[in-house]
Amino acid sequence: MTNRWSPIAAWNRFWFEPGPAARLGLARAIFCGAAFFFYLPQDFSEWATAAPIFWMPIWLFSTLHVPVLSAQSLFVMQTVWKVSLAACALGLCTRVSATVAAVLGTYLLGLPHNFGATQHFDTLVVFALCILAVSQAGDARSLDSLIRSARGKDHSSRPITGPEYTWPIRAMWMLTALVFFGAATSKLRHSGIEWVLSDNLRLLLMRAYYHVSDGDPLTSLGLAVARRPALAQLCAGGALAIETSYIVALFSRRARPFIGAAGLLLLVGIRALMGPTFEPYLICALFCVPWHRIEAPLVRLVTRPTPVSVLVDTAPARLDISI
Amino acid sequence: MSRRRRWIVNVFLGCLVAGSLHDIVRDQEHWPFSQYPMFSGIWRETSFSWYRLVGVEPDGGEMILDDSRYIRPFDQSRMHLALVRLAHGDDAERRVNAAVANALERYERQRAIGQHDGPALRAMRLYLFEWRLDPDARNVDTPDRRQLIAEVRPAAGDAP
Repeated sequence: MTNRWSPIAAWNRFWFEPGPAARLGLARAIFCGAAFFFYLPQDFSEWATAAPIFWMPIWLFSTLHVPVLSAQSLFVMQTVWKVSLAACALGLCTRVSATVAAVLGTYLLGLPHNFGATQHFDTLVVFALCILAVSQAGDARSLDSLIRSARGKDHSSRPITGPEYTWPIRAMWMLTALVFFGAATSKLRHSGIEWVLSDNLRLLLMRAYYHVSDGDPLTSLGLAVARRPALAQLCAGGALAIETSYIVALFSRRARPFIGAAGLLLLVGIRALMGPTFEPYLICALFCVPWHRIEAPLVRLVTRPTPVSVLVDTAPARLDISI
Repeated sequence: MSRRRRWIVNVFLGCLVAGSLHDIVRDQEHWPFSQYPMFSGIWRETSFSWYRLVGVEPDGGEMILDDSRYIRPFDQSRMHLALVRLAHGDDAERRVNAAVANALERYERQRAIGQHDGPALRAMRLYLFEWRLDPDARNVDTPDRRQLIAEVRPAAGDAP
């Protein structure tokens, strides 16, 4: 018999605690839907027109000898990818569409990083797509489940809760926490507490307004913060505190919503004040929201008992009956 | 959940966690795994340099191409970092010139198909701009120093 507190028991409890299929299904639908609309206007085929001297392959592409394809091939590939994202959002042929989205998404999202610099705004999207490909995310809130019901292959024998529906959500928790933890570790390793106590963030905020990032700051608030050194240090301290403590969200049910919200605010703050396009992280955050808890009251609201008026012919009475 | 299925999922999860922790602990990057090193150093300088592409209009006027739509699919960060690597590698002059020529070719092709509304260019220059940081970034278009690194003209037949 396995000890409840053994590492293996703790591992199994964390990843495979039974959970509702609806939660994973909704996370799949909302994440893939948001990713579809976010990437729809983006054209990856332009990378085929970059001169070969710009080609500086990252390890994944060099190890697997993956080349940059022609513009026509990239166009076809990105079209298939976007269709697969939409199909996965709808839960149509979910296993196939999720696998296609993961394989093509890894190539297309990884491709730009072979041209001079590795940026970090889309790593979680790749992980999320791979997780969906391995998971059974199409068991609920999907066209697949509706089709199965219509064909009489209803999964009455299949559980609507189970360990299959928990680990993908927790994998996204874990990877999100490791992103923040990695960022905090890098700062502490390379700069220590000086990262907070020096003029570092003040100068970085000023520099951000010289068009040096993949996106420009959305507001001029960064310059306002930079004019107040103490406020810049406070922001730096807050950012480092959020990044360092994010890992706690994995284990504390109470702290989780607060730390999660603080992490989102940090990403929004970076985008607004410094410029880096962290929108994909916000899309990935949709994966971690317990949508089934939002869905339940909404469904109750829609199906609320409605008063039915019954007029009785022989008496001037009116009965309100709720059904 | 069958034993085989659970084993597969465990291996998958183990790879995700181990890959992430490996890069964080070893301070390495194996995209999509990463140690997320952005902004991790301490910036102490009150001035900085950045490679910037500049278009030369038919009347000889210069237009700073600091909007990323003019250098698609690159952005200002990726273009600068790529040029830094080219400028510090072997055969730097030829490779940097080829990079600027490629940027000009893409600019004109995208202009011709209406992907941006920039003017026709008779040449493209690469400068290394240097700014002293201004609290209001008022000098963003007027760097304190500018060093011409390369200038290329459209290939014959492509000239506007």
